[in-house]
Amino acid sequence: MITLEVKDIRKKFGNHQVLKGVSFRIEGPELVGLIGPNGAGKTTLTNVLDGAIKPDGGTIRLNGKRIDPLHPYEIARAGLGRTFQVTRAFRRMTVLENLYVPAMAMDARVNRREMEERANEILAFLTIDHLRNEYGRALSGGQQKLLELGRLLMLDPDIYILDEPFAGVHPSLMATIYKWIERVNGEGKAIILISHQMESIFTLCRRLLVLNFGDLIADGPPATVKNDPAVIDAYLGVEEDMSGTGLLTQEATHA
Amino acid sequence: MITHAPKAAGYVAAALLVLFPLVYSAGNYDFVMHLWITAFYYAILASSWALLAGYGGQFSFAHLAFMALGAYGAGILDNYVVLTSLPTGTCTEFGILGTNIVLLPPSGTGDAAACLTAARATWPEGATVSRFPLLLQIAFGAIVGGGAGWLIGTLVLRLRAAYLALFTVGLSEILRAVLSAEIWLTRGQAGMPMSPLFPDGVTILGTSYGPAAKLPAYYVMLALFLGTLALLLWVARSRIGLFLRSLREDEDAAEALGVNTVKWKRAVFVLTAAIAATAGAVQGHYVGLITPNTIVLLQMSLVIAMAVIGGLENVVAAAVGAILISFALEFLRTDFTILGFEIDMTTWRLVFFGLLLMLTLRFLRNGVIQGALMWIERRGVGAETVAKRRAAEEAK
Repeated sequence: MITLEVKDIRKKFGNHQVLKGVSFRIEGPELVGLIGPNGAGKTTLTNVLDGAIKPDGGTIRLNGKRIDPLHPYEIARAGLGRTFQVTRAFRRMTVLENLYVPAMAMDARVNRREMEERANEILAFLTIDHLRNEYGRALSGGQQKLLELGRLLMLDPDIYILDEPFAGVHPSLMATIYKWIERVNGEGKAIILISHQMESIFTLCRRLLVLNFGDLIADGPPATVKNDPAVIDAYLGVEEDMSGTGLLTQEATHA
Repeated sequence: MITHAPKAAGYVAAALLVLFPLVYSAGNYDFVMHLWITAFYYAILASSWALLAGYGGQFSFAHLAFMALGAYGAGILDNYVVLTSLPTGTCTEFGILGTNIVLLPPSGTGDAAACLTAARATWPEGATVSRFPLLLQIAFGAIVGGGAGWLIGTLVLRLRAAYLALFTVGLSEILRAVLSAEIWLTRGQAGMPMSPLFPDGVTILGTSYGPAAKLPAYYVMLALFLGTLALLLWVARSRIGLFLRSLREDEDAAEALGVNTVKWKRAVFVLTAAIAATAGAVQGHYVGLITPNTIVLLQMSLVIAMAVIGGLENVVAAAVGAILISFALEFLRTDFTILGFEIDMTTWRLVFFGLLLMLTLRFLRNGVIQGALMWIERRGVGAETVAKRRAAEEAK
C-alpha cells in the first residue's frame, strides 16, 4: 500500500516563511489536487517533497521510509517522481533517449529490448511515437509536456507529482494527458496534481489540498473545500465567484 | 548501408595509421612521424575533453593542467627515483626484493644524483642503475591526474557554465605559477628533463631502433590514442554517456529522474583527467622535457578549438578535428605573397585559425566532422517522422 506521510514541513527563505508546518497523508491510489494562489508555496512544497530543497523542519515518509534527508535521485528511486512547471525535456537528446534515462537510472542492468518496447508503447499512448528519433528541442511545448509524462512513466514511481501539466497545452493534447492520468491512477499509483485550471482539478480530483501563505488551510473532497469559508476568503476570492459563473458551470459541463 | 559508412571508415583509417610508418617513404621521415605523434597527442586531449565538455557539459579549462600533473608526476619519479642493484649508503634508499629504490634529493637545477654518482665510483663492475619503470611512472602520473580530477570535480559540483570556466582558468594559472616557482622540484621555467620512452632503444620485429627513433614513439602514441578512443566511445555509448548528456541538458531534471548527477560528474572528471595525465606523461617522455608553459591558456584554447571545430559532442569527431588542425597549423607555416603583400604565416596562421573557429561556431555549431557524421546518421529521421505520422493519420 502506497503511503506518503508529510509531517510539519517548514521552510524559510531569508525572512520569508514559505511553508509554515504543512502536514498531510496520502494513502493508496489517491488523486489529490494541490491548489493555492500564486506564492502559496505549492512549488516549494513540491521541491521539498522531491528533495531538491531541504526543509528546515518536519519529516516526510514514503511507504514508511523517511525520505526527507535523501538526495533527489534517491527519492526518485524510492518511488516519488515529479514533472516541472516549466518543461524540462532533454533538448539535445532524442525522444527515445529521453525515456531511456530514467529506465537506466532505475536499473543499470535493464533489458534493452524490453526497455525499448516499453518506451515505444508509452510514446504510442502519448501520441508522439512518430517523433521517437527527433531531438527533444524539435517538439512543440505541448509535446514536450507529454514527453515529460512519458519519462515519468519510465521511472514508474509510486507517487507522481505533476506541476501544472495543463499549462499552455492545446485542448487536443489535454485529452491525452487526462487519459494518461487515468491510466497511471488506474495502475494503483497516487497522483498529486498542481494546477491553476480549476476545471481540470475539480473534474479529476477526489480530494483537494489548499495552500495559502504556507499554511494548509483545507483538506477534503472538492465539494466541501469549495464551500469552506477560509478557502473562499483566501483563494477563490469573493463569494460571488463561486456561485455565479466560472467554476460551477465548468464543472457541470464536464460532469 | 550508408549509416554504417563512418564506422567502416574508422576501421580503415585505424588500419592505415598502423601501416603508415612502415610504408611511408617520401622525404622528411622523422619530421612527418613527429607531426603524427603530436597530432595523436592533441587528439587524445581533444577527444577526452569532448567527453567532459561535449557530453558532460563541464566546460573546463583545466584539462591541460591535468595533462601537466601527469607529466610532472611521471617526471618526478623519472628524475628523483632510481633502482640500483647495490645500496648507495649515502642517498635515502630502501630495499625491496633485492632491488634498492634510491630517492635522490630534489635539488632544483643542481645535480640531484650527486650521492648516487659518488657511490657508483666505489661499486664493482656489473652493478646496475636503472630508472623507475616507465609504465609505473605513467601509471603514477595518471593517478595524480585522476586524483586531481576527483578534487576539481568535487570543487566545481555547484558551479555551472561561465563560473566553471573561470574557476578552472584560475586553477590552471595557479598550477602554472606553482610549477614555475617550485624550482627545487620542477626546475621552474627551465623545465624538467625526462628520459626517452626507450632509453636503451628497442627492437621491433628484428629491427633495432635507437632511443631517438620516431617509429617506436609513433606506435606508443598511436596505441594510446586508439585505446583512449575505444574507451571514450564505450563510455559515450553506454548508459554513462546517456547520463552525462542528461545532466548536461538539465541537471535538476536528470536528478529527479533518478540519475546520481554528483557521482557521474565526478566520474567524468576523474576519467578524462586521468586520460589527459597519461597523454602528458607519455608526451613528456617523448619530447624529453616538460615545462610550465605547456599549460598556458593559448594551448588550452587550442585543444578546445580542435574539439569545437571537429565536433564537441562526438569524441571521434573531436579527435579527427584535432589531427586535421594540428597538421593544418604546421602547413600554414609556409609564407606566401598575395597582391604584392608578403604574408608572414608564422604569425598569421593563428589569425586564419581563429577565423576558422569563428566560422565554425557561426555556421556549423556541431562542428565540421560531427556535422557530416550527423548528416549521414540522421538522414532518415525526418522522413521517418513524417511517414509515421501519415500512417497514423490514415489509420484513423
